[in-house]
Amino acid sequence: MPGLRLLLVIIVSAALIVADQQFDRLAPVRSTLATGLTPVYWLGNAPYQFSDWVAGLFTTREDVKQENEDLKARLLILERRALKYAALASENNELRRLMNSSELLDDRVIVSEVVSVSPDPYSHEIIINKGRSDGLQVGQAILDAHGLMGQVVQTSQVTSRVLLVSDSSHAVPVEVVRNGLRAILLGTGDSGTLDLVHVPDTADIREGDLLVSSGLGGRFPRGYPVAEVSLINKEPGEPFVSIRARPKAQLNQSRLVLVVFPPKGGPRSEPATGDQVQPASPASDTEQEGQG
Amino acid sequence: MLSVISYPVFVLSVIVSLVLSISLFPVGWFEFRPEWLGLIVFYWTFRAPAQFGVLFAWCLGLLLDVLEATPLGVNALGMALIAFLVLTIHQRLRMYPWPQQCLMVFLLLGINQMLVHFLKQVFGGEDAGFSYLWPALTSALIWPVFSILMDNINRKLG
Repeated sequence: MPGLRLLLVIIVSAALIVADQQFDRLAPVRSTLATGLTPVYWLGNAPYQFSDWVAGLFTTREDVKQENEDLKARLLILERRALKYAALASENNELRRLMNSSELLDDRVIVSEVVSVSPDPYSHEIIINKGRSDGLQVGQAILDAHGLMGQVVQTSQVTSRVLLVSDSSHAVPVEVVRNGLRAILLGTGDSGTLDLVHVPDTADIREGDLLVSSGLGGRFPRGYPVAEVSLINKEPGEPFVSIRARPKAQLNQSRLVLVVFPPKGGPRSEPATGDQVQPASPASDTEQEGQG
Repeated sequence: MLSVISYPVFVLSVIVSLVLSISLFPVGWFEFRPEWLGLIVFYWTFRAPAQFGVLFAWCLGLLLDVLEATPLGVNALGMALIAFLVLTIHQRLRMYPWPQQCLMVFLLLGINQMLVHFLKQVFGGEDAGFSYLWPALTSALIWPVFSILMDNINRKLG
């Protein structure tokens, strides 16, 4: 009798796996189950919130005052920067208008909290506490205070699953800030290193170069810092240089993250200027290196 | 076989094991996290083979699939396999001393991990040598404590 049930279960599982993996038919089922499992996520996060709360109980007045002063000082610095930024942004818009290109709107963001990390040690994923009810959709970019963290890959009603840039199945189209050199940044499965692939031997790239998202491929917004080149290894005879980069975002420390909403008016579209052809997929973007 | 089965304890143990499988384990040591849901399936099928079986284990595995974002059905199949194997050996298992029971836990959970790992590989997962067997080992090590604890809770509340 158990044998019969096992056979039944094997057949059903095989059907499910194929439907899920090959035909992508089970997203609603998974989403519904995930919504049902929300209490589990809450309970999993509860001890951390409780410890935060307890720590908050025992903070002295002096500490709070000190922290408040630090924050005020920091706010002042950031406000000064924001002032400069506003001027630059208006100037930038002006220039873009002069060049007859479409304007780039500022992205709308919401703050979200990390409630869980993936239990699988070989996949770099986190769960955040915003879901479809907050308007999240698959494919949105996630940032922390320092840079790009990843993208939403699954949503349920009140939580979402985020694939981090360091996951070995993740790729971001990036460009070097200094000269606009385009390349693809791959995750390695190690949260401290990313691989910059298919960069030709002769490309102008140095250690310490900042890599920002290029916006090509249409998934990530343009211009957010992703990583910093940490190691360049030129093998004579190899067509490509092997380049390591360190992610700017604190992938396994940040508890507060920002979810970026694309500007209103349908899916994100990059301003198409005359000398720039937008590739259809991130993969074809490497072929255009060196033009920038 | 337990004389009484406390269904509230069963429900609670499932919820706790699901929470434990996503949380409350030091970051960086995830490799060694015991397969909590596997232990729960093992325990309940072993103690109450008439009530809990393959289908039940399959449903629990499906929940784990959602939590771990594996293709739906992978962990479900693994859990069902554990339940099936426990059902086939539970009469002998009762006679075994602790070390031998632990060995069986290791073997059964190891088979589960192997199957899950194999299926993940088929769909393009990362290969990390034999380290995927650590959860089976840690589960086997905590099995005596776990099963005594569960027996006591069952007896108190059942």
